[in-house]
Amino acid sequence: MRHSSPVQGWIFVSEKRRERPDCVGGLTYEPIAMGDQKLELRSSHIVLGFLVAAVFSCAILFLHDVSNESVFMLTAFNLLFVSLTFLLNGSLATKVLLLSIGNIIGVLWVLLFSMFIRTVANYLGAAFNGLYLILGPFVNLVWIVTFFSLSLTVLANAKTGKQGLKLDN
Amino acid sequence: MIAYLVRHYIFTLAVLKDAGKKKEAVSLGNRARLPSVSILIPAFNEELVIGRLLQRMCELTYPVDRLQILVIDDASTDSTGKIAEEFSKLHSQIEVLHRSEDEGRRGKASALNAGLNFVKGEIVLCFDADYYPQRDIVEQLAKEFEDPRIGAVQGRVTVLNEPENIVTRLVALERIGGYRIDQQARDRLGLIPQFGGTVGGFRRDLLKSLGGWDESILAEDTDITFRVYLSGYKIRYVNEAECYEEAVESWRAYWKQRYRWARGHMQCAFKHVFQVLKSKNLRFRERLDALFLLNVYFMPVFVLFSWLISIPLLFLGPPPWLSLGWAAGVFSVYSFVGNFAPFFEVGIGAYLDGRTRAHWLVSLLVFTFLYNIPICTKALVDLLISKASGRNSVPWDKTIHSGNGNSYITKENGYKPKTLRCGMI
Repeated sequence: MRHSSPVQGWIFVSEKRRERPDCVGGLTYEPIAMGDQKLELRSSHIVLGFLVAAVFSCAILFLHDVSNESVFMLTAFNLLFVSLTFLLNGSLATKVLLLSIGNIIGVLWVLLFSMFIRTVANYLGAAFNGLYLILGPFVNLVWIVTFFSLSLTVLANAKTGKQGLKLDN
Repeated sequence: MIAYLVRHYIFTLAVLKDAGKKKEAVSLGNRARLPSVSILIPAFNEELVIGRLLQRMCELTYPVDRLQILVIDDASTDSTGKIAEEFSKLHSQIEVLHRSEDEGRRGKASALNAGLNFVKGEIVLCFDADYYPQRDIVEQLAKEFEDPRIGAVQGRVTVLNEPENIVTRLVALERIGGYRIDQQARDRLGLIPQFGGTVGGFRRDLLKSLGGWDESILAEDTDITFRVYLSGYKIRYVNEAECYEEAVESWRAYWKQRYRWARGHMQCAFKHVFQVLKSKNLRFRERLDALFLLNVYFMPVFVLFSWLISIPLLFLGPPPWLSLGWAAGVFSVYSFVGNFAPFFEVGIGAYLDGRTRAHWLVSLLVFTFLYNIPICTKALVDLLISKASGRNSVPWDKTIHSGNGNSYITKENGYKPKTLRCGMI
């Protein structure tokens, strides 16, 4: 592997983090676009989160009228939600509450959707399977991604509530 | 698809892990020993935006005597050249290269190559005419070249006209995912951060040894990314080097821009995939990431293909060699997990940026994903047809800039948005 020799005499002195520079001519266009959200990674939150998620996943298995696909979907939701949001700032109670709400919404969604599918499949027959294959992921995306997005808003506001007000003014 | 979803997930986790660390800012240090920097600004009919950028170039904190700003007026028919000339008369660091109609209008790569013949700096940075950088961006980018392994750098792109309409808001979210998470993760994991064509630069000597930009490729930035890596150098992504861009404002403009990116990317895939596999300058993980990067614009085409074949399979029944259980498992993973990973990535990126309400639009990215399916499919079909017919030259369909981003910049301290401030949060 070739490398050029370092150009002699270049000096870029690092210093302690200064105040955020005025990125765009002094205006406060997107004050936190530079990623100032500091994270305090708490491994205990993750561990507890997975335990709670495991409890929910087991509980879902005992539900009637829930297909294997739906169980898999809810388990995947729990895995992704815990592994990504439980790393963020915010209290453990808030995160567990969000996880619980997510599972309740997921189960309700699955039950309602399965009733809808059975009704429609009775009328459309085998053709509906193809339609479901294509549209199913997007239907599930409606609640999973939306709920995840709202959870991020809750967690972002939990820590930066006062700062958010300051930015808005 | 599964590989891509795992990749998105790993990237998101990698950036989250890195988010708790403090970043150190840089200062100019000893002024006498700073590298000389040349900034190339290719411009074709950019009268609505070029003035804004050049004014900003005059406000950079980098020493003027170490800076050369070269505007390449690519045979513009409007007053782009005139505006640039006016700036060059007032500021010694600004120079203008006017190309005639015979020489110019052959695309960005051609304009950049023309400018390359006149650069004097040890480092060459590139900015598109519609961009608006932070004042210390040159220091932020140039410092990375202290490492002799680094051949190129890439800064972060943020959307200036985000509140304009739903298109600009969705493009802004895409940028957050692409830069705040994707590029950042690739840099931290020692993979292949990509030079994005603007807000970045190269060592001059390396660029010249590579022969400049390939004018036959629409995605000249992707092409040069791989040529840098194949020659043994690395690219560093600098998240703190932030620059604002004027995003496309209509779905038609979005189509044109993404079509160009998709087709150019596919050209690069055909050109580099075997070189990447055989290269001794790339580690295994870099090779793997390079393959993901080169093939990313084929994914929407594969999704369409999978939908088209799955429907007849359901009616006709799968062939014996394809177990229904296995197929159902694959479809299930894709259906219930695979298509969520990019959304989670964007959401986390917006969170790390301190956004509190931008996440609400994340689920709407499904529409841009669906829109990209016909774009990428057409790009692939056109590319295959052009290869078969031997017609390789493609006209450069430039992105039209409205200059609406100018209204988001005021001279006073304070941002006055066109819409309610909550629209920005």
